[in-house]
Amino acid sequence: MSAVSRRFNGLWAVRDVSMAVPAGSILGLIGPSGSGKTTTVRMLTGTLRPTHGEARVLGEDPQRFSRQVRERIAYMPQLFSLYEDLTARENVGFVAALYGISWFGRRGRIQRALSVVDLWDARDRRAGDLSGGMQRRLELACAIVHEPQVLFIDEPTAGIDPMLRRTIWEELRAMRDEGRTLLVTTQHVAEAEYCDRVALLADGALIALDSPDELRRSVFGGDVLQIDADRPVDPQLVANVGEVIAVQQAEPRRLIVTVVQAGLAVPHLTEAFRTAGVGLTSIDEYQPTFDDVFAELVRRQRTGKEQAAESTDG
Amino acid sequence: MGDLWRSLVRITSFIGKELRETLRRPGMLFALVLGPFLVMLIFGLGYTGQRQPFATEVVIPPDSNLPRETTFYSELAPGRIQVTAVTDDAEAALQRLEDQETDLVVIAPANASAQLRNGEQTEIGVAWNQVDPVYDGLARLAVSTMVSALNAEIIRQAAAEGIDLAASELGPRVENLSPDVIAEPTTATTRNVAPTEPSVVNFFGPAVLALVIQHLAITLSALSMVRERLSGQIDLFRVAPVNALEVLTGKYVAFALLSLLVTAVVGALMILVLNVPLLSGYLIALLIVLLLTFASLGVGLLISLVADSERMAVQLAMLVLLASVFFSGFVLPVQDFIGPVQYLSYALPVTHGIALLQDAMLRGTVTEPWMIGALAGIGVVLYLVSLLRMRTILRGTA
Repeated sequence: MSAVSRRFNGLWAVRDVSMAVPAGSILGLIGPSGSGKTTTVRMLTGTLRPTHGEARVLGEDPQRFSRQVRERIAYMPQLFSLYEDLTARENVGFVAALYGISWFGRRGRIQRALSVVDLWDARDRRAGDLSGGMQRRLELACAIVHEPQVLFIDEPTAGIDPMLRRTIWEELRAMRDEGRTLLVTTQHVAEAEYCDRVALLADGALIALDSPDELRRSVFGGDVLQIDADRPVDPQLVANVGEVIAVQQAEPRRLIVTVVQAGLAVPHLTEAFRTAGVGLTSIDEYQPTFDDVFAELVRRQRTGKEQAAESTDG
Repeated sequence: MGDLWRSLVRITSFIGKELRETLRRPGMLFALVLGPFLVMLIFGLGYTGQRQPFATEVVIPPDSNLPRETTFYSELAPGRIQVTAVTDDAEAALQRLEDQETDLVVIAPANASAQLRNGEQTEIGVAWNQVDPVYDGLARLAVSTMVSALNAEIIRQAAAEGIDLAASELGPRVENLSPDVIAEPTTATTRNVAPTEPSVVNFFGPAVLALVIQHLAITLSALSMVRERLSGQIDLFRVAPVNALEVLTGKYVAFALLSLLVTAVVGALMILVLNVPLLSGYLIALLIVLLLTFASLGVGLLISLVADSERMAVQLAMLVLLASVFFSGFVLPVQDFIGPVQYLSYALPVTHGIALLQDAMLRGTVTEPWMIGALAGIGVVLYLVSLLRMRTILRGTA
């Protein structure tokens, strides 16, 4: 999508978003509630027209999808949108038939789709009787029953417990491994870890688009190391070591050190501790949580906006 | 061929889904099938069609030679009035009428024979106390019948006096004259040439059936579409390779099958249990039911286009039901309405459905064939409107 925007009643829900999703990957569209994730997905599925900009899915404008392209995409909406009076199997069968799969071809696919989401044993239970997590998985089964090439999945883990969230993400990654392209929205920032690329949205704007590791690097300026000592340690001990960008005291005996490149920095840091006569307990790569990454990116974006506004006023 | 096959698969997906969803609600199905039949059964068993005769007081002036027996006056309009008292106190009788102790007061003229002999018209006073327009009309009818009979009695008495007088003057030439013939020179021999005996159950049975078919089709289609629009299922259709024609055709076929199922069960119960005749045979009845369903589904889909909640859809469906009861000829004849209101009547599918089903079942023929065309016309127009709207919903993005 290129410079896509959407306005509702004078307010911008999505502003000037440009991005591309490589085939056979998972793009996580991550942001808090109201950040424009669902609006973006709806524009990409053709259910919402952009106010400005251009979108393409499988080479076609979503507003004018051909039947052939429609047969190759799937959409799992945010809200439970299946038929509560139909069983799990009937719901999946209905969606399969919507995609033109005949009764004979349908049976195997229904079994496969329900098995993927671990619902085959619940196939004859009515959708309305399933738990919230099972309903989301049933919707996922409906989305994959016609074996689409591109999947738009809106908030698959909303309201789901952490264990089940992991299971769902494992299922999504398995689909990616089969060569499918997935665009998945979530407001759980930590789920960025499961994606190949992450697009962070805040207030309708795209504030970052990269792989999870690169996003971390871009936020912290390099690799991050966690150093534990056998006694309280002064950050100044490593502040002047080559390769070190920043030092932060996490605890009296623990330092969080940002370095240009971990591999080159570790020998220098070890030497600095040895020279100072401080025992090293461990040096490990530190993985800042994606909550930290997201918070920092949003803070930077808002600071940038304020500075821009001030310079305009000045 | 592949596209056509896939299109058929999509259509059948909607047929199967709608049928399963409806049949999974046994309570609703029970109400749909047995409800109308039970209503008809209770109506048929409990409604006699005979109204209570009006409690009537007759005031005969003291100097009148009219009879003073209550049975005499009750027999003037049998079944319509029941004379509770004959009195000479008009004021007291009118007070009892005002207090609603009686329904009617008839005040005979004073000295009617003398006035008649003098060539003067006499006047019978009648008063009643009704706010119900139906009973007001019935009171007028009862009064008309009674007054005619009373007039005949007055003429009979005057004629008897005249014949006696003429016989004394002219002898046997007038002796063969009868006061009864002079008072009532003709009597009527009546017969109803309709192929079925008029009965409340027979007459209202087809009407109830038509009303049930329309209400069923409207409610099912309106609720189904509104639910899908509001709960996000429509988003699945928007993304899927399904078009408006396939969605609508699937729904129409499903609801037509449900309608036929309900009609078959309710109709069979009416014919076999309540003995409502079906003179036309099944084919014509089936055609009428299908056309009525087709047109009614269009009304339901029209409602689903304007309703923004299930509650509103139900309310609008009930509004159509109410309009149908009043304007369809179910209770009041369509011809009794002024011209513009008749257009409203004929815009309702059930108006044609009732007339056609009553004709087919009770007369064995269709006396107003244009109504078949009208039903088909309403159905086609509403189908096209629904199709255009569905296309906008599916492909015309927000």
